[in-house]
Amino acid sequence: MDNSRNNTREFVHGLTALILALFLLGVSSGLGVMKSIVDLWGAVLFIPEYPAVVMREIYLGWRSWSRDKNLLASEVTRLRNENASLRLELAKIAGERVFSDDKNNANTARVTLRAPMSWWSEIRIDRGSKDNITQGLPVFSGGYLIGRVSTVSMLSSWAELITSSSFMIPAVIEETRELGVVAGDGSGSVLLRYIPAGRGVRAGMKVSTAMIGEELPPGLPIGQIAGEFNIGTDGYTTYRIEPGADLSRFYTVNY
Amino acid sequence: MMLIILWLIQDLLTVFTGGGMQIPGLFMLGVVFRLLFSDNNNDDGNLWAIWSAFAGGILWDLRWVGIPGFFTLGYVVVVLIVIQVWGIIPPQGRVSGSSLLVFILLECSQLVPPLLPVLILGGNTGGGYFLMQQVYSLPAILFTMYMYFQKVRDTQI
Repeated sequence: MDNSRNNTREFVHGLTALILALFLLGVSSGLGVMKSIVDLWGAVLFIPEYPAVVMREIYLGWRSWSRDKNLLASEVTRLRNENASLRLELAKIAGERVFSDDKNNANTARVTLRAPMSWWSEIRIDRGSKDNITQGLPVFSGGYLIGRVSTVSMLSSWAELITSSSFMIPAVIEETRELGVVAGDGSGSVLLRYIPAGRGVRAGMKVSTAMIGEELPPGLPIGQIAGEFNIGTDGYTTYRIEPGADLSRFYTVNY
Repeated sequence: MMLIILWLIQDLLTVFTGGGMQIPGLFMLGVVFRLLFSDNNNDDGNLWAIWSAFAGGILWDLRWVGIPGFFTLGYVVVVLIVIQVWGIIPPQGRVSGSSLLVFILLECSQLVPPLLPVLILGGNTGGGYFLMQQVYSLPAILFTMYMYFQKVRDTQI
């Protein structure tokens, strides 16, 4: 009895609700007052919805930051690559300039002393401070770096050779952009130290001064990789460098 | 109270996603869930479900659609379908072997409300967007089913 009465009531109420919904659906879009009701309801819900709005803003901010970070990272990578290629260009230009200077015999100095006791360490040249020679100035032979000016007097200067055991400058392998330190051993050899093992460094790759050195400009050609010298237990490899200049036979240098 | 909370959660999630993702109809899942345990032998029967769905639908339409009746119609239809289908199942049959039926009724609460007005008034059903809505609803439906059978088991014990 109760069950059937409830079924009837449910049917009537359900039908009423359906008709009301259909009626509202049909007429509400044309009622101007509906906009006011919608706005009012939106204003009422503003307070309970506020945490969700704040969380959404935080989320959007975080997503935007994350996207910007990725964009920035890719931009940094692009600029690094561009920088590497520009450095390579700079090295080429510097090399060309040095060759050109060499050909024109501009800024040429004569070697006036190469003492047997310090044969692989230093030379004296016949130019001094009156010729604008300054300490640290790179010295070239055949377009390749052979040393740098260590002591300057008015009429002459001393240049430390790259084969000197105290000569150490940061350098870069142009093909791989690996950075290391070029150092002499005092016995006529030039070494490139601190290159991580397994970086694909091969004989014949060019070595030039690196930008990270403050004393010498970047891109000055030094020579090329001659071969592996040894692999240290710390995972770094030392390579033997074949200097571009003939260090056994030079009578003049350029600066 | 539970239905109000579910309506608010559904609203807050919609605010949070900014409409970029279709939120499952938690409110209607709650209504159907309660209906599955409802006893229509009491004084008011299942009238609470009809008018709760109506009120919830109106408020949802006022908040998100701007046209009262749009979701209201679907909500009321879902309640009537559940009342009719569940009513013809004897109480003994409701507690055993009814998982498919429970799933269909819960799925009804997600499928009918957005679909019905479009079918009546015409227009695009949304294609992929509509399909995605159903996919998003699936975990909520399965969770409600789990809750239902947990409660049934507890009642039997």
